[in-house]
Amino acid sequence: MSGFSVCWESVRFAYDGVEALRGISLDVPAGASLAILGPNGAGKTSLTRLLIGLLRPQAGRVRVGDWDVAGRRPDEMATRVGYVFQHADQQLFERTVRRDAAFGLRCLGRRADGVDGALEELGLLRVADKHPYDLPPPLRKLCALAGVLAMEPGVLVLDEPTAGLDRAGRDRVIAALRRRGAAGVTSVVVSHDVAFVAETAERVVVMREGAVVADAPARALLSDAAALAPLGLEPPPAAALGLALGLKGRPIRVEECAAALGGARWRGA
Amino acid sequence: MKPLVFLDGVAFSYPGAPEPALDGVSLTVEAGSVVGVSGPAGAGASTLLLVAGGFAPRLTGGTLTGKRVIATERVGIVFATPWTQLTGLASTVLGEVAFGPASLGRPREAVLGAARRAMRNLGVAHLSDRDPAALSGGELQRVVAAAVLAMEPELLVLDDPAAELDPAGADALYALLPEIAAGGAGVLVATPDSERLARVARWVVVLEGGRVAREGAPGAVLDDTDVARVARMTGCPAPLPLDVPAALARLAR
Repeated sequence: MSGFSVCWESVRFAYDGVEALRGISLDVPAGASLAILGPNGAGKTSLTRLLIGLLRPQAGRVRVGDWDVAGRRPDEMATRVGYVFQHADQQLFERTVRRDAAFGLRCLGRRADGVDGALEELGLLRVADKHPYDLPPPLRKLCALAGVLAMEPGVLVLDEPTAGLDRAGRDRVIAALRRRGAAGVTSVVVSHDVAFVAETAERVVVMREGAVVADAPARALLSDAAALAPLGLEPPPAAALGLALGLKGRPIRVEECAAALGGARWRGA
Repeated sequence: MKPLVFLDGVAFSYPGAPEPALDGVSLTVEAGSVVGVSGPAGAGASTLLLVAGGFAPRLTGGTLTGKRVIATERVGIVFATPWTQLTGLASTVLGEVAFGPASLGRPREAVLGAARRAMRNLGVAHLSDRDPAALSGGELQRVVAAAVLAMEPELLVLDDPAAELDPAGADALYALLPEIAAGGAGVLVATPDSERLARVARWVVVLEGGRVAREGAPGAVLDDTDVARVARMTGCPAPLPLDVPAALARLAR
């Protein structure tokens, strides 16, 4: 599945008079990976909800590929945009994990061929016959993600995909996103997990109070402690270690940092 | 110090579950201490918090065996997501946070003082007059945590309380935990965020499959932070450094 471009044009949105989005414009080319950081209440989730028409902008326009979201029904949008909510319980409907992961495909009248592959990718095959609500919340979230991956959308939108996940689950989400990125799928990820963002995104946008306050390549921004500090952010641990040691290449990912540190001599504790 | 929670060989099964969620677990939480719980998803961390706080089996049903002593009735619990914890009765954030201490029958000034202090500590004082229903998930989570802290529990139980918070909010929440313990409370916190857990916990219990796999000081039992991974990949001997200062101290340069 090749990706679609995503474009917000001067979008504004307010909840009961409280402005959540104050005229945001962003252009994400097809196949790009964008992460949105920012404090609680900055408008990150509101911005992404515009992509599936769950919220409608009160001004401005949202486009996914050549479609204006305003003129599209939710089921049409679901063929292009796969959205995993912050709280997976909002999108689990079925009696088994396997059936649930096939729910979206069935709703679109498509065959549920890719479901087991998506479950396996996220380590859920062993619980495929369990009720989603018998799983701990972090695994429910992976279940919702499996359903979205099975639909093979051209645009993946994930809201806090790693919140509550253990390291193994987090590693699987990182691998899944990288695979989709390599296949040309566009991704928009809202996250507070700066280390996860470093592992998966090429471009980082930081929002505050409904506006974009930074927009930069991930490596440039996440390895720049001075630029992050006023945004209330710190470099991810791999980047911080790289900065403290003056490592070459501005590593921001664990593997990059380890490669740059190759030949290091560690003392015993 | 006085043990607030004492578990010895505790097993717990949810109603109808074929396998116990906890099996042979022992744990002590003393007044003045922060104890951490870690482990893979489904290992039993959330269940351990419910059992240690006295919420299971009282609210969940199920069967508890083994010895459990909870030496206080003032127990507060904070879950990972706010939606299940709102009272639904308050139209402002201040009202929501004041609801708990007010329901304990405290005088009005004490209620408002505790509510305002907790809101300041969680960084939600500026949201005081807002409708909780109109807040973002992360803002609401701070409000929920403030509402529990405002009740000044003697035993504070937190289940991945910062999963939805921005980094500054998560740091602020975790920084409060040793302060709360220093005030004489016992704190039991579960999270997969080993970086922050290592910063605040004096003792960490790692669960696997409902059993205690290992326990000890954070540096001795945790090994899954990003810095620890870098260290492992570059040949560092155990115990692995968990954060940047620990790594710098171990690197020969």
